[in-house]
Amino acid sequence: MKERFRALDKRLLWVLLMLIALGTLTLYSAGRNTSQANIWLKQSLWNGLGLGLILLLATTDPRRLFRYSFPAYLLGLLALMAVLVVGKKIGGSTRWFVIAGQTFQPSELMKWVTLLYLSQRLGSRPAETVGRLELLGAVGLVVFPMLLIQRQPDLGMALSFLPILLIIPLMKGLKARWIIALLLFISVGGFTAWKFVLKPYQKQRVMIFLDPSSDLQGKGYQVNQSRIAIGSGGLIGKGFTSGSQTQLNFLPVKTTDFAFSVWAEERGFIGVLLALGLFGLLLDRIIDAARAAHTNAEAYFCAGAAGIFALHLLVNVGMVAGALPNKGMVLPFFSAGGSSTLSFFLALGLIMGSLHRSRVK
Amino acid sequence: MAVLILVYAMLQIVRHAEFKQIAMQQAVKVRPIAAPRGLVLDRSGQRLVDNRRALHLVIQREDLPSKPEVMTQLAAALELDPAALARKIQSYRLAGKGRPLVLKENLDEAGIAVAERVRSRFPFLSVEVAPRRVYLGDELAGHILGYVGEVDEPLMKAKPDLFHLGETIGKEGFEASGNDKLKGVDGQKRILVDQLGTEVANFGQVDATAGRSIYLTLDAGLQKIAQEAMGEEAGAVVVLDLRDGGVLAMYSSPSYDPNLFLNRLSQDMVDKYLANNLTRPMVNRPIQGIYAPGSTFKLLIALAALEKGIATPQTAIFCGGKKNYYGRDFRCDKASGHGTLTMVQAIAQSCDVYFYELASRLDIDDIHATAEKYGLTERTGIDLPQEKRTRIPSRAWKKKAAPRDPKWYAGETISVGIGQGAVGVTPIGLARFYALLATKGKLLTPHLFYGFRNDQSNQLEAAAYPSPKDTPLDPKHWATLDEGLAEVVQNGTAAANPFIREIAKLVPFSGKTGTAQVATFVDKAHYARQAKFLKDHALFAGYAPRDKPQIAYAVVVENAGFGSTAAAPVAAKLVKYWFVDRLKNPLPPPRGKLVDPFLPPPAPAVPE
Repeated sequence: MKERFRALDKRLLWVLLMLIALGTLTLYSAGRNTSQANIWLKQSLWNGLGLGLILLLATTDPRRLFRYSFPAYLLGLLALMAVLVVGKKIGGSTRWFVIAGQTFQPSELMKWVTLLYLSQRLGSRPAETVGRLELLGAVGLVVFPMLLIQRQPDLGMALSFLPILLIIPLMKGLKARWIIALLLFISVGGFTAWKFVLKPYQKQRVMIFLDPSSDLQGKGYQVNQSRIAIGSGGLIGKGFTSGSQTQLNFLPVKTTDFAFSVWAEERGFIGVLLALGLFGLLLDRIIDAARAAHTNAEAYFCAGAAGIFALHLLVNVGMVAGALPNKGMVLPFFSAGGSSTLSFFLALGLIMGSLHRSRVK
Repeated sequence: MAVLILVYAMLQIVRHAEFKQIAMQQAVKVRPIAAPRGLVLDRSGQRLVDNRRALHLVIQREDLPSKPEVMTQLAAALELDPAALARKIQSYRLAGKGRPLVLKENLDEAGIAVAERVRSRFPFLSVEVAPRRVYLGDELAGHILGYVGEVDEPLMKAKPDLFHLGETIGKEGFEASGNDKLKGVDGQKRILVDQLGTEVANFGQVDATAGRSIYLTLDAGLQKIAQEAMGEEAGAVVVLDLRDGGVLAMYSSPSYDPNLFLNRLSQDMVDKYLANNLTRPMVNRPIQGIYAPGSTFKLLIALAALEKGIATPQTAIFCGGKKNYYGRDFRCDKASGHGTLTMVQAIAQSCDVYFYELASRLDIDDIHATAEKYGLTERTGIDLPQEKRTRIPSRAWKKKAAPRDPKWYAGETISVGIGQGAVGVTPIGLARFYALLATKGKLLTPHLFYGFRNDQSNQLEAAAYPSPKDTPLDPKHWATLDEGLAEVVQNGTAAANPFIREIAKLVPFSGKTGTAQVATFVDKAHYARQAKFLKDHALFAGYAPRDKPQIAYAVVVENAGFGSTAAAPVAAKLVKYWFVDRLKNPLPPPRGKLVDPFLPPPAPAVPE
């Protein structure tokens, strides 16, 4: 046990514990005086389980996990198909299995399984030997579960698979020109198509495909209330459990998608800087892990994980401030939820293990 | 990351004040507290209008749901007409700040149960406690008291500073004319609400100041006598206090129960019922009914003749039952004729020929000028809304009223001589004219407002009454008229009725009978067969007691026949109560049939 604890990367651990503390405080305040008063306790249980998982994985050779990644991937695909048939429909989409009263979202875990499998598949041999056709196949391996998830529909979750594709430019050497050219092509082409090629009804179809909830009322209300919460928080915030937007229930879904607004309202801009700083340190350490990794597979996994964490951070924190469209993407450590929490900790456990191995050898 | 920091800096630092303001606005609400209106008491302090606690189902302004389909569902749940509710919400939205939108008023126990059930589905509803009016005598003084309701849009638009949306104001009667006196000052509270509009905390409130209670000059007992005396007959009763012009009783029959008009949603039903009612109970007959005064007008003709000098009290005129003027026979009520009469006798016997003759010697403009001099052509100025003007014809009037036939014919003046034809008076105007005769020429302003109640002592603080105007009534002329009016009751048209004689023995009273034709008939046998609504109106106007008069009255009983048999007994009953019974055993205070669902019935009010 002691040895296991020693194996943990202390820098990453501290950042992690700080973020967990911030998230727990936020959930305590958000759940106060509502039917979810003990959500912070529930989330602490998940966090505890997650930390145990990290402790377990830190001393486990990642390669042992990589070995199971293919069956896991197949199992994940089966689960995604099954959820469309037997899953529980909540709020217009079918994302959840209900097992013994507990909801479980397979797509959360599938994201990491896909990353794991792809890292293993592409990273288990020298990069030069991977052909173009194989790369295209790899892209297909990512896009297929994305399409299944979009069937639920859950665009936010589907998009959160995209950072996995970062592995490909990493393998072939990061050529900034390529990436910029690709981004330019996508944006100019997309803009042109949008502006001149698509007819209004087609645009509408695209809009509804991209965001099935756009025709429902109330989304604008949510973001508006969230902006009011954040803006009225000011520099130093209204104080713990004193945010009027949070406590008087003006702020919607405050324990999940809009948890960060609670923190921003009650802790102000300083609190936002603190949280973003911690996330920055987290990302920084994960990138360190990618650089120091012994095997390509580990490096790819860490890099993909950094991308996924960064995307969640950007989309959620940007969304609650109204800077990005309202896509349901949770914020790690802040948004309550068992599946997502365990998935994030699973990934962090692997990263811990990779860091440990890179130190040992 | 840098972009995110910029975004948050923009929201939390640059635009902080703006968002802080919005957050405040939606969480901190100022809600008005309705002030109870003042009570209305009769002259001895008996309650005519009381306040009770009532519960209303309301939506606070900020909780109004934006989706129309929610309102449709709500209308279905409350069994309201969706279109009517939509219109109501539309006008509520357009108007400015104010009280909550009232969906259902004056909930009873069943209503509360329904409201609570509906509220669980529509959490934006709330139940508000507010004072409610209770009119204690039911139909006793419906027209005088009027009723209250929510201020309507046109009024609010006309005077946006004075009224705010949802405010309760007087709609009819004294509630309307005395609205400024009765209404209090609304209070308000600043509260913290959550997203559902539920009050979370109270930051402090300014309590409402109740409106001051008011004494009316009305006497509830005398009013009750008037109500009972009129019974099922339609008509009007007015009794004036000769000291100040205060209205002691004023009853419009048929009356209405103002309590029925408090529930706004039953208004459609009430309107329908009233619109189809031939007796028109909503017309306030004492001030809005225009009646041919019949013989009660003869006193004005006599006065005009005396003042013009075309007749003296001794002028004798022969009545042979009819007389021909301008080629047409004008009949006297007594077909066999009265013989030769002096002026006092002619008043007492109500001889028509005598007054045809006086009228034939007068010009219509003389009659109008005399009426104008003694205030009969103007409104009395009573403190009630929508008083009508008495109509005394003149040449100028005819030009305006009948532009196709603007010429005044001398024959028309003959009819006016006995209070028929174009002449029409309001009962209040008639009572005021007889009050002028009783006071030897003082022109009073009838009024209902007696004074405010002192909040500490619960005593009347009598207000200044409108000062009477003096008119140049010659005492010699007055004496003739006074004697004529006394003779009516002692030996004249009214004396035939044994009941009148009996009361006159107790209290010598004066007055003039009148029988105003509604339709003309060939002979009396024909008349007897006619439908009730074509029968003559019976009138009686006068004052009592004869020496040192204290009250003046005017009574109109519609389609009831002779003034002496239908109207004079009503006046006699009023006189009997006022001068005899009231002093021995006054009537108990008014009690309504309305039962308050929340409170035990109040102890009977003790005269203060």
